[in-house]
Amino acid sequence: MLSVNGLKAKVGETEILKGLDLEVKPGEIHAIMGPNGSGKSTFSHVLSGRDGYEVTGGSVLFEGQDLLDMEPEERAQAGVFLAFQYPVELPGVNNTYFLKAALNSIRKARGESELDAVTFMRLIKEKLKILHLDDSLLKRAVNSGFSGGEKKRNEIFQMALLEPKLAILDETDSGLDIDALRVVADGVNALRSPERSMIVVTHYQRLLDYIEPDHVHVLAKGRIIRSGGKELALELEEKGYGWVLEQEQAA
Amino acid sequence: MTSTQAVDEIVRSEYEHGFVTEIESDTLPPGLDEGVVRAISARKGEPEFMTEWRLKAYRHWLTMPTPHWAAVHYPPIDYQAISYFSAPKRPEDAPKSLDEIDPALLETYEKLGIPIEEQKALAGIAVDAVFDSVSVATTFRESLAEAGVIFCAISEAVHDHPELIQKYLGSVVPHTDNYYAGLNAAVFSDGTFVYVPEGVRCPMELSTYFRINARNTGQFERTLIIAERGSYVSYLEGCTAPQRDENQLHAAVVELIAMDDAEIKYSTVQNWYPGDERGRGGIYNFVTKRGDCRGARSKISWTQVETGSAITWKYPSCILRGDDSVGEFYSVAVTKGRQQADTGTKMIHLGRNTRSTIVSKGISAGEGQQTYRGLVRISQRAAGARNHTQCDSLLIGDRCSANTIPYIEVKHPSANLEHEATTSKISEDQLFYCRSRGLTAEDAVSMIVNGFCKEVFNELPMEFAVEAQKLLSISLEGAVG
Amino acid sequence: MSDQAPTGFETWLVAAGSAAGEHEWLDRQRRHAAEQVRELGVPNTKHESWRYTSLKRLLETGFSRVDETRVDDLVPAGIDAYLVPGLDSHRIVMVNGHYSPRLSALGELPPGVRIGALREFLTSDPDALRERLNAVIGPQQPLFSALNTAGSDDGLVVLLERGAILERPIELIHLAVGMEVPRVAQPRHLIALAEGAQAALIERYISLNPELYCTNSVLELALGRDATLYHDRIQMESPQAFHITGLYLDQAANSHYQGVNIGLGGAWARTDIIARFSGEHAQCRLQGLYLAGDQQLMDYHLDVEHAVPNCTSQENFKGILYGKGRAVFDGRVLVARNAQRTDAAMSNKNLMLSEHAEVDTKPQLEIHADDVKCSHGTTVGQIDAEMLFYLRSRGLSASLARRMLCLGFAGEIIESIHHEAVREVVAEQVGARLESAPLD
Repeated sequence: MLSVNGLKAKVGETEILKGLDLEVKPGEIHAIMGPNGSGKSTFSHVLSGRDGYEVTGGSVLFEGQDLLDMEPEERAQAGVFLAFQYPVELPGVNNTYFLKAALNSIRKARGESELDAVTFMRLIKEKLKILHLDDSLLKRAVNSGFSGGEKKRNEIFQMALLEPKLAILDETDSGLDIDALRVVADGVNALRSPERSMIVVTHYQRLLDYIEPDHVHVLAKGRIIRSGGKELALELEEKGYGWVLEQEQAA
Repeated sequence: MTSTQAVDEIVRSEYEHGFVTEIESDTLPPGLDEGVVRAISARKGEPEFMTEWRLKAYRHWLTMPTPHWAAVHYPPIDYQAISYFSAPKRPEDAPKSLDEIDPALLETYEKLGIPIEEQKALAGIAVDAVFDSVSVATTFRESLAEAGVIFCAISEAVHDHPELIQKYLGSVVPHTDNYYAGLNAAVFSDGTFVYVPEGVRCPMELSTYFRINARNTGQFERTLIIAERGSYVSYLEGCTAPQRDENQLHAAVVELIAMDDAEIKYSTVQNWYPGDERGRGGIYNFVTKRGDCRGARSKISWTQVETGSAITWKYPSCILRGDDSVGEFYSVAVTKGRQQADTGTKMIHLGRNTRSTIVSKGISAGEGQQTYRGLVRISQRAAGARNHTQCDSLLIGDRCSANTIPYIEVKHPSANLEHEATTSKISEDQLFYCRSRGLTAEDAVSMIVNGFCKEVFNELPMEFAVEAQKLLSISLEGAVG
Repeated sequence: MSDQAPTGFETWLVAAGSAAGEHEWLDRQRRHAAEQVRELGVPNTKHESWRYTSLKRLLETGFSRVDETRVDDLVPAGIDAYLVPGLDSHRIVMVNGHYSPRLSALGELPPGVRIGALREFLTSDPDALRERLNAVIGPQQPLFSALNTAGSDDGLVVLLERGAILERPIELIHLAVGMEVPRVAQPRHLIALAEGAQAALIERYISLNPELYCTNSVLELALGRDATLYHDRIQMESPQAFHITGLYLDQAANSHYQGVNIGLGGAWARTDIIARFSGEHAQCRLQGLYLAGDQQLMDYHLDVEHAVPNCTSQENFKGILYGKGRAVFDGRVLVARNAQRTDAAMSNKNLMLSEHAEVDTKPQLEIHADDVKCSHGTTVGQIDAEMLFYLRSRGLSASLARRMLCLGFAGEIIESIHHEAVREVVAEQVGARLESAPLD
């Protein structure tokens, strides 16, 4: 589904990603772990098409299409979804209006018809329940005045609504207390399916207690230096990042 | 003490620096015509081009109306009642070192609490002290000369560096600019000239103390600072004046020019005689200060602490011509008694990615009237321009005024501009809180006011910041009691 | 020149309708205003309040006056197409400055409420107007208000007696209908609410065709003690038209005014709002939204005078500029000596979306009292790149995302429109305008 080959990217003059390889198959959950400054966020931003990053080498293919050549909305329409680490507040932009526009843009791109108001509302309410979100959210402006936990839940709620093929969760656990973390993880787990892949980017192993990955990768200095199963995460938790880094240097 | 009592005291606090130094002056009789302009030029032994330059300015000045747009009020000035030249006796015998300076002058500085010797020793500041209109002492010239920095009286520069004067004088503030700049160009007495060559970081802070002294003498300073490519200079200007009954006119012009990658920092502490309780006898300070960021990545920064003068009319400005150039204006202005100040800045964004910052802190007490007047203009080709403006007014007492008149003109869609202004007073709650922690009311007000001004003081060179804080405390003494 | 009106304004000075001599006091007011016009002359950009505005184009267009006898025939099809769906109002319709009884639907009025046309009042009950007309605005009037005073056509009069409460809103629809030559209409409105009275007024300026004309309107609003007025103004003149409004507001103690000004139409639309507090503890909230597209100039001048202590005012104007759109915001809050405990906050925010747009903004504070809370804030900026990216990452096209963010920016003002039905119409109109705007 996603195939990243030798991806290099820089911010300004600094090279952050230095040849990253990653292969994600349908239905798989990949966790990308790494110390601060390893390039985790850069990777998710490059996948989603954010400005300010210059790709200097390598390729990213999503279902055979060159992802890097696509506009952010084209990526979303193709089925790539980024759950932001810091969702921006959009004062004055009504949530319902926003969700409807987003969903219909994506449906249109898929060749599906736009939803009528009734069907749309029914769908929305159903998805809200998954994330234990209140109806009042629909009347508010997007992320505006939301607490940290609400913002993260809202991201997963949008993911539930837009039903992407590939979801990238960028530090979704940061700033969440344990109850909120569980709600978010339950939401994510409810969305697992054989057709849907996920890349879970996180600093801590904690989230992986709730969202069980198929593969764990350690990202350091812009490259994946180690890959393994879910047990790798536990090992990291126990021994810290220094352990892999040392092993890497020794090798 | 209640804050009302405190306010009354501030209003009454006498001018600390009001005293007269008795030195004989060689003064032209009052009046202004072409003859006087020629006489000024002749007495200074100026070359022909300067005389012509002055006359051209004078002739144009005659055609200009006096400006009335500022929010200040004063009786019409009789320009024929002013004497346009005053120099210490025997200018040809001007002292070459501090030893030769009239002890009375040195004593004056002692009284001001800014002894030159100590300043020199402590802070390594070169001092070009202007006594009335002619530079009477210049120090540290040798070490500056070593660095290639020219730091001299502008009258000397006219003789020694005519090519620089001809090239740059009036190139930022032309004589046609405004009424007072026109007058200054015609009759300017003396002032400072600084030239920092390419790549040179001026080895010390340059400083000049101006004083107005002789009775009924207008002071028409002219300052020109040129920072060549990649150079840096920090210039400090401080002023105090003796107490007088008649209003004294001061119409200075300051021109700054910064080439590619050059930086000029210009700091002012102004404490001229503000007049007595009824506003009599204070200085009229009508100044044109403008910096031209001619080069790419150049930077001009104005910092001012204005506590004196009966009337202040002053807008230190930046023309951000070079791409990526930066303009800054940091100001603290205090008006009390019957003081009036109409001050602010203009930031004219012409180059791409130019940035400007304006921080203005106005404090009004007694019957003080203060206006912030500013202009931020983003021209049609100034892509990526940024401006941030913060204008805060603090009112002490219920008879003062604070006005904020910002003009914001944006002609480029990529501009990002934020302007904020607030008006507040020192609340009884704040005072009470401080006092319940053991502070006197005076210390409390002083502390609150200093906190209010902190952003600006932070921009001053260290030794100047200390002086400025002291001046602010003195200015608000009693009031802030 | 002293005994002649400035070139271009002669026709404006001729009062429509009833011949002089009907009411001596009215003639006197009109003569005084005409004299004032002659004294003032034509302002140029050296006048502070005309610094960013040139009257050249207005003066080059010669405007004639409307032939009132034809007014009723001008809208043969009726106005159903221009009504706000679901709005139940006391409706008064004016066509080119003149009252149209045929198109109006005043309905039943509760006791203590009088609503009608200015000229009807002058015939039926001139004494009711005698003390009120020109009372808020005062004898010293700026040029266009003086022109209106000297030569007004007709207008809306609303008089609420003490304690009168009007449940349904008053809706004033001003229709501009094209004629053979450019013409000027000068509607003159008077709204006076006595102690404790409450009303809501919706004012809508609409043109039937995209033609060149001028509307020069003046409103006097007098709010008595404890009175409340909600006032929504929707200006949708023709894109070629000149629209001028002088809005004069006087608020007695404890009164409450909330005005929302939506400016969408006009080649040049100038609005002067002069608000004055004459009693303590009054509240005034002035909000505005303007869209300036190609060749449009939206020109706002606010003058809020806190003459007495303990009043609160809020001025909040937002603008979206695109194409060659221009906006001027010249706001002034004056706090008089002794007007202690004044609370005033002024804000002007602008979104600039195109290369040739221009904003000139001048938010002033003039403060002569110390125990006050006054602030102003101004921003000029673009659509936030972070927000844009967020929306695009959810699948929205860049242009839809931009429009959505513009609507979000405008939303704060639109939501403060008092009547939901009007709010929806405005949101739709703003959306449509943004739809056709070149935002990319």
